[in-house]
Amino acid sequence: MRSFGTVLFGLGFILVLFVAMPLVRMILAADPAVLKGVLAETRVYQSILLTLRAALWATLLCAVCGVPLAYILARRQFPGKSLVEGIIDLPIMIPHTAAGIALLMVYGKSFLLGRLFSRLGVGFVGTEAGISLAMAFVSVPFLVNSAKDGFLAIDPRLERVARTLGASPWRVFLKVSLPLAWRSILSGAIMMWARGISEFGAVVVLAYHPMTAPVLIWERFGAYGLKYARPVAVVLILICLIIFFVLRALSAKQEEN
Amino acid sequence: MLRLDDIVVRLGDFCLNSVSLSITKGEYLVLLGPTGTGKTVLLETIAGIHRPRKGRIWINGRDVTRQPPEKRGLGIVYQDYALFPHLNVEQNIAFGLRSTGMSERQSLRTMEDLVRFLDIGHLLKRRPAQLSGGEQQRVALARALVMKPFLLLLDEPLSALDRASRDRLRHELKRIHREIGVTILHITHDLEEALFLADRMAIMENGSILQHDRPEAVFARPNSRAVAKIAGIRNLLEAIPENGRWVTFLGVVDIEDILKNCATDPGQKICISIPGWNVEVFPGKPEDSYLWKGTLRVAETRLIGDLVDLVLSGGNGGDDIRTSLSRREWETLSPFVEQGKNVPVGICKKGIHCIM
Repeated sequence: MRSFGTVLFGLGFILVLFVAMPLVRMILAADPAVLKGVLAETRVYQSILLTLRAALWATLLCAVCGVPLAYILARRQFPGKSLVEGIIDLPIMIPHTAAGIALLMVYGKSFLLGRLFSRLGVGFVGTEAGISLAMAFVSVPFLVNSAKDGFLAIDPRLERVARTLGASPWRVFLKVSLPLAWRSILSGAIMMWARGISEFGAVVVLAYHPMTAPVLIWERFGAYGLKYARPVAVVLILICLIIFFVLRALSAKQEEN
Repeated sequence: MLRLDDIVVRLGDFCLNSVSLSITKGEYLVLLGPTGTGKTVLLETIAGIHRPRKGRIWINGRDVTRQPPEKRGLGIVYQDYALFPHLNVEQNIAFGLRSTGMSERQSLRTMEDLVRFLDIGHLLKRRPAQLSGGEQQRVALARALVMKPFLLLLDEPLSALDRASRDRLRHELKRIHREIGVTILHITHDLEEALFLADRMAIMENGSILQHDRPEAVFARPNSRAVAKIAGIRNLLEAIPENGRWVTFLGVVDIEDILKNCATDPGQKICISIPGWNVEVFPGKPEDSYLWKGTLRVAETRLIGDLVDLVLSGGNGGDDIRTSLSRREWETLSPFVEQGKNVPVGICKKGIHCIM
């Protein structure tokens, strides 16, 4: 029994090391003075802020449609439901550069939706809106699937009781379903946001400029080599880790309450 | 008060078949049936959760078949109470009142009497996870009753409790029904619970209501073998007509008096329902009081609380006859009623019923 646990623990630990080692190695190898200097570079901190902001917009806008969609997928049976679920999962499967090209074919200046939005003053090629769009496309499955799991975990009888107590479907959604699935929705939003921040392939096709942090890291790596790309990468990783742990702690605290 | 006309509900492979039922105001109706028979589906259909494919639901003369649950004025309490885990007891009870637009202060005033009546004042600030099963049940009842429902629907409300809590809460339900006067439809698979609580009983199996009557009437005159089994009638004896006589595994029985008013087809088998208390060990009544008298072997004795269950075997590998003795009776008779011994047995005519 003891050896069984030891083997499982050992195998799991190998995977944890595999993920943690490159990150820890990179952070430990960084010189704090160099990091400080990098952060002081306008171009670097602006690109980091742009990345965080664009991913946040993508997450918030997708939550407006994604949470209701997740609720419908969790609660209703309808023809074509599997197809809808498949479509939502598609961005995880396809290469992200291909996703960028596909987006360009719809939201590019010479295509239908692109022209329509451009008349409204919103362009997607080489703009922050385009970056958000690319981030949203590739990371929305994380939000929808996590929210769906959250709604599925709620006993439907809680919602049924609420209806018999005189609550309308809207009130049931807002006062029962949403508060109970909140942790899963937040967790999905964090995942989507984090995935959006790290997106490179789709973003680089749709909007090379303004440069997001991953594009900047790539540009520095290509033009100047590892020495110049590494400090920006370390800063981005540190910022992501800090935000990730703060949000996780907040959602855990809420659950405790 | 509530009338169901020919309700048909289809959910996947399951189907409620033409269910018709009525409950009068102030009545306590128990729907009794085995697990998986469609009792909860029926309850949820009445509550408006499932929409019937066919049939009508009437509440106080109003057709509510197409109305959503929030417009029906019914309360529901589920087996595990379904209290909102993110709200405390007070917020749970006030949920319905707040849905009607009542302020927090008003809702607190409205629930005051009920909270006192159910003795849950000390629990108001607790979360459902901090309550015992019995406390959760009282809170769930308060949450439903505070809305003053026309009809309270109870979905196996006692089955998640231990025996002591179950007995206590059975009395509590009786008290609520008596003192608040609310009409109740209670579903259960527990016969004892049904007999204790019901003014009337409906027996359900495979999505259909088989019989609907006062408990004593269901027990005395089950209309089918299935009802007799669900109603806990312990002996169902098959009788086959042979040369103008009725033959069972016990031998020939005289049931002509009982069959006088029943139409039987020639050659048709019948089933005689014999409650356990109709079987006498060491029979002492006049000869013509018995349907059958003879000797049976004690196959098994089982002590269950104050009673001793007896399984009496005909000895030919056929069916058994089952009865119970009180502990006192058993102690008197025990030297003669031991496992493996033959005992004289009589089946009384009074109280038996033939099922065609």
